[in-house]
Amino acid sequence: MSAHQKRYALVIDSKKCINCKACVVACRAENSVPLEYSRNWMNEETRGVWPNLMAASHPEQCHQCAHPACVRVCPTAASYQRADGIVVVNQEDCVGCRYCMIACPYNARFFRQDKGVVEKCDFCLHRVERGQLPACVETCPSKVRVFGDLNDPNSKLAELLSQREYRSKKPEAGTGPQIYYLI
Amino acid sequence: MKTIEWGFLIVNYLFLGGLSAGLFFVSALATFLYEHGQPSPYTRIARLGAFLAPWPVMIGCGLLIFDLGRWYRFYKLFLHLRIVSPMSIGSWLLVLFNLVVLLNCYAWLTEEQRNSLFAKLPRALAFVSNFNCDIDHWRRGLAMIGIPISVGVGIYTGVLLGAVQSRPFWNTNLVAQLFLFSALSTGCAALILGLARSGESAQELRLLYGLDICFMVLEFFIVLPYIIHGELSVQAVQDSLRLILGGPFTILFWVFFLGLGLLVPLLVEVRELVPVLVSNHEFRYRRGLASGTAVLILGGGFLLRYIFVLAGQMSVFK
Repeated sequence: MSAHQKRYALVIDSKKCINCKACVVACRAENSVPLEYSRNWMNEETRGVWPNLMAASHPEQCHQCAHPACVRVCPTAASYQRADGIVVVNQEDCVGCRYCMIACPYNARFFRQDKGVVEKCDFCLHRVERGQLPACVETCPSKVRVFGDLNDPNSKLAELLSQREYRSKKPEAGTGPQIYYLI
Repeated sequence: MKTIEWGFLIVNYLFLGGLSAGLFFVSALATFLYEHGQPSPYTRIARLGAFLAPWPVMIGCGLLIFDLGRWYRFYKLFLHLRIVSPMSIGSWLLVLFNLVVLLNCYAWLTEEQRNSLFAKLPRALAFVSNFNCDIDHWRRGLAMIGIPISVGVGIYTGVLLGAVQSRPFWNTNLVAQLFLFSALSTGCAALILGLARSGESAQELRLLYGLDICFMVLEFFIVLPYIIHGELSVQAVQDSLRLILGGPFTILFWVFFLGLGLLVPLLVEVRELVPVLVSNHEFRYRRGLASGTAVLILGGGFLLRYIFVLAGQMSVFK
């Protein structure tokens, strides 16, 4: 098998989401995120008037953008993008200027008052490097999330994106988001 | 929900950094406005500007460092030079600017002032007196080097905001120009305030009024296209402009910044200066009016930063 450069991404099938928030809890536990912060969250949407109502839940987290604005503006290169596309904050180099938070169109970053640094979702990098799935993906009871390699045509993720229609959030911000919401 | 990450400290820093840039720029211009070997009619502007310029930016840098989550790690900003990050470029510019304004301040000290300064040093620092030398002849050189750096500091504060593509209120090159001319105008205003108090600075104030009018006219003609262009832009930009067109910053922007902070002082200065230019009469000024106008300009410059920093962070793509 020929080696290829991985490009990690996430597909979200919101129609399957039951808004149990197990993903939020799993992330919090896995990454020791205090209660006042969150690396991932739910967007709840309701439309219409009783009895013709529609309710949906759209999970969201860092979009691991192809052209991340947070990485561009970071003055110390603490925010950087790995070759596999995952955007990471090196906490040793972060000075806590919060420019990246302002630059992120998704508000996916938060400032840890206790540590004085910025944090965000990194697809549970420590797990991914061990060949495991991110905690939110593994824990989801209704299999809303599919994590995988965009460059691997045999991955479940590539299969879904080739067969289903999808959208990304705020493409007009120009950062090339890599979370794909199935329609 | 979006939180406001950059608050009062950053607003103050942007104002103080711009103020110093303006003070140095005008002071440096005044340094050049005389023939070599001749006494300058504008020495008082150059000297006062040189003496005032270092302090606002140094206080501003302190605020900037204090605003960091880990202030003691600020040195890490100088372990990198990232040309794609306006904050990285700005950090280096500030270092250069601080060096130039401090040297320039020293170069404008008279011999008595220098001697008196070094005499105050504690005994442990007596060796510093070895640096007590006359660098008067550096003034023009420092002005020449410092002008592009001060313009850089004035512009960069706007680029810092304008480069953020996810904030539609900021994401236009006009913000950089707006901040630059506002910075130069506040620098002029601070000098007017300083010189008008003595009551014997008609010639200096005439030059400062002329420069200030130019800067404020340019500022006004940047505010206009900023709003017109925004209204003709995409929906997200139009929505972001609602913050100053019917939103929480409307009165602050139109009445206090544009009205009292820009147009009123502009009209006062035009009213004072233009008849003199037309009739070629001797320029006279009223100390109270000149000082009041300068205070309004300084207040307007501060409000501009306040409105832009906060409104920009509230503007998002929906």
